[in-house]
Amino acid sequence: MTKPPTGSASDKLSDEQEPQEVFEIEELRQLITGPERIQIDQLRERLDNPKHRIHDLSQILPEAIVLRTSQDEKIAKAIAPTVEKAIESSIKTNRKVLVDVLFPVMGPAIRKAVTSTIHGMIESFDKTLEYSLSLQGLKWRWEALRTKKPFGEIVLLHTLLYQVEQIFLIHRKSSLVIQHVMSKDIKIQDPDLVASMLSAIRDFVQDSFKLEKDESLDTLRMGSDRTIWIEQGAHALLAAVIRGTPPSDLRLMLRETLDTIQLGHGEALEVFDGDTTLLEAARPDLEDCLQARYNPKQKKTFPLFWVLFGTGIALIGILCFFSFQGHRRWMHYLERLKGEPGIQITSGEKRSGLYHIYGFRDPLASDPVDLLKKDKLKSDKFLFNLESYTSTHPQVVLKRIGKILESPETVNLEVKDDVLNISGSASHPWITKMREALKTVPWISKYNDRDLADQDQNNFDILREKIGKRFFLFEFRSAEILIGQESELQAFMEDLKSFLNLAKGLEKIVQIDIIGHADSLGTENANLIISQERANKILSIILKEGFDAKSFRTSGLGSRELFREEKTNQDRELNRRVTIRVIG
Amino acid sequence: MLGVYNVGKTSLVRSFVYSIFDDRYLSTVGVKIDKKLVEIEDQPMEFLLWDIAGEDDHFSVPPSYLRGTSGYLLVIDGTRKATFERALDLQQRTEEAIGPIPFIAVLNKVDLTDQWELGPKDLAELEKMNWTFIKTSAKLGTGVEEAFYKLGQKILHP
Repeated sequence: MTKPPTGSASDKLSDEQEPQEVFEIEELRQLITGPERIQIDQLRERLDNPKHRIHDLSQILPEAIVLRTSQDEKIAKAIAPTVEKAIESSIKTNRKVLVDVLFPVMGPAIRKAVTSTIHGMIESFDKTLEYSLSLQGLKWRWEALRTKKPFGEIVLLHTLLYQVEQIFLIHRKSSLVIQHVMSKDIKIQDPDLVASMLSAIRDFVQDSFKLEKDESLDTLRMGSDRTIWIEQGAHALLAAVIRGTPPSDLRLMLRETLDTIQLGHGEALEVFDGDTTLLEAARPDLEDCLQARYNPKQKKTFPLFWVLFGTGIALIGILCFFSFQGHRRWMHYLERLKGEPGIQITSGEKRSGLYHIYGFRDPLASDPVDLLKKDKLKSDKFLFNLESYTSTHPQVVLKRIGKILESPETVNLEVKDDVLNISGSASHPWITKMREALKTVPWISKYNDRDLADQDQNNFDILREKIGKRFFLFEFRSAEILIGQESELQAFMEDLKSFLNLAKGLEKIVQIDIIGHADSLGTENANLIISQERANKILSIILKEGFDAKSFRTSGLGSRELFREEKTNQDRELNRRVTIRVIG
Repeated sequence: MLGVYNVGKTSLVRSFVYSIFDDRYLSTVGVKIDKKLVEIEDQPMEFLLWDIAGEDDHFSVPPSYLRGTSGYLLVIDGTRKATFERALDLQQRTEEAIGPIPFIAVLNKVDLTDQWELGPKDLAELEKMNWTFIKTSAKLGTGVEEAFYKLGQKILHP
């Protein structure tokens, strides 16, 4: 009875023993293990019956998985291939199922991705266009080549400057601020009020424009300088106030931050009632988003450098200018010299700061030193090596002749077509001298003095005429000169003097006839005598003056040549005269 | 703060709150948000006060604005009985929208005694509904702090 019912052993034993004992033992066993037996049978049935097993497993499987998942990753790893296969199988059998499930998720996701990419592309394209042709652009192209980055990226890198000024984490339900972070030195208004109003506006927009569930106000743009980007999560909003032009990947970052916070503090967010302490832990994530990117500070090239540089350039410019000017003047001067009559330049050069001029100069030519003044050049810089020569240049020849002839002011010398024209007036002796001198002058082939008036000759002729017109009146039947002719006599004397002098100078032999006349009254004889006396009278006056008698001749013509027809006494008076005639 | 158009919601709190937004928000966005700090039982309580534009024929409170409310002041113009009736209706709609949130009924313009239209019967009605009410005057500035205090208390001890 105390034997343990050890299955086969006891059976074996019972087979070897009496059937009665077997039966009793069996009965005993039944009694003892009866209830357990039933259970065991049941259990066995359970174990053997897959249906039961399935049912049991189904009860515990979910919790088991959850428990295991929380402990380690083994189950995830274990299931992974199965899940893959499952999805594969699902797609193979009925794609629609998965599509239907994914479609609502994929739709907005794809849309968002596409718009964001296009946006980014447009931004980059825009900037590329702007910079492709500028010098800056070329520099950046080089950088792009060098760093193997796309040009658009380089452009964005250099031009985008932005700063995230503040970030609000707002509880959707209550519109309260969960957390607020901001950059240094940013002026802000009360975050609670701002966040609430922002939420109110979002609601307002939602209500006014009947937005879809996945649509919401996500951007507020203020001018070209500031933007607010809002990302919406299940329980919270992330609003970032950005100054400048943020890159599109910043929005992605905001999104990811929101997702991270949502994941990490989901529960706290759900039950948020205003107590922000629970979500202090989210601050670092938010602070990470307070990014800024500025243009790399351009090294300030010191203004001094530019001043010096500019001055240097200016100086060089000035020097060049002056040197050029100087050269020009030098050239001009040389030309002037070369063109100067009586000066022949063989060479002119600048050597060690001095101008050396070689050539020939007729002493009568202009002084080159004087000419320097005309071109505003300093004489101390010039060294003249000019040998003297005799120039056949007309102007110089003229000067020379002028000098030789000692021509008076009244004479004008001119050379035209190789002919020396002498014009004006000069004294007879000078003219004679001139003619003699010109015979020996080698530089002129011809001269023309037709326009040269002989002053002496002129005067001679004038006087000749004047004297020839002279007459003096006499008293009736007398050789006494009528009173009142003193001045005429005087003038006559003077004229005679001049005339005879001129005649001498001109080497002319002249004779002055003094012819006496009488009026018709009286006898022919008496008239002849009286007329002769009258002529003699004049001659005596002349001789008294000291004139040489040689030049004079007297004669009396009586009344043979009457001056006037005697109608009146006056006529007769006029006929009682002495006239002068010049011969030669 | 809820109430019919022109009951004096904005004027009531003007001198008691910290504002950065202009009154015109009420007519444009329909809400103006101010801040009020109260000390309730030695505890500082900061109210973010959503002054919602008054209900009238052209405007009814957008439910979205009600979302997240912890408590509200229901403002009634004591000189206009109609506002009293509409306030009752408004309160009901509010409760339907956001649940039984603590509130205080504010009977404003108490200074206009000769125009006062609410009689003891009306007050009795309020008491019957277990409403806490306070008489205020925006003009005199009476009752406002008390209203906020009471509301704060109600919120702390619902």
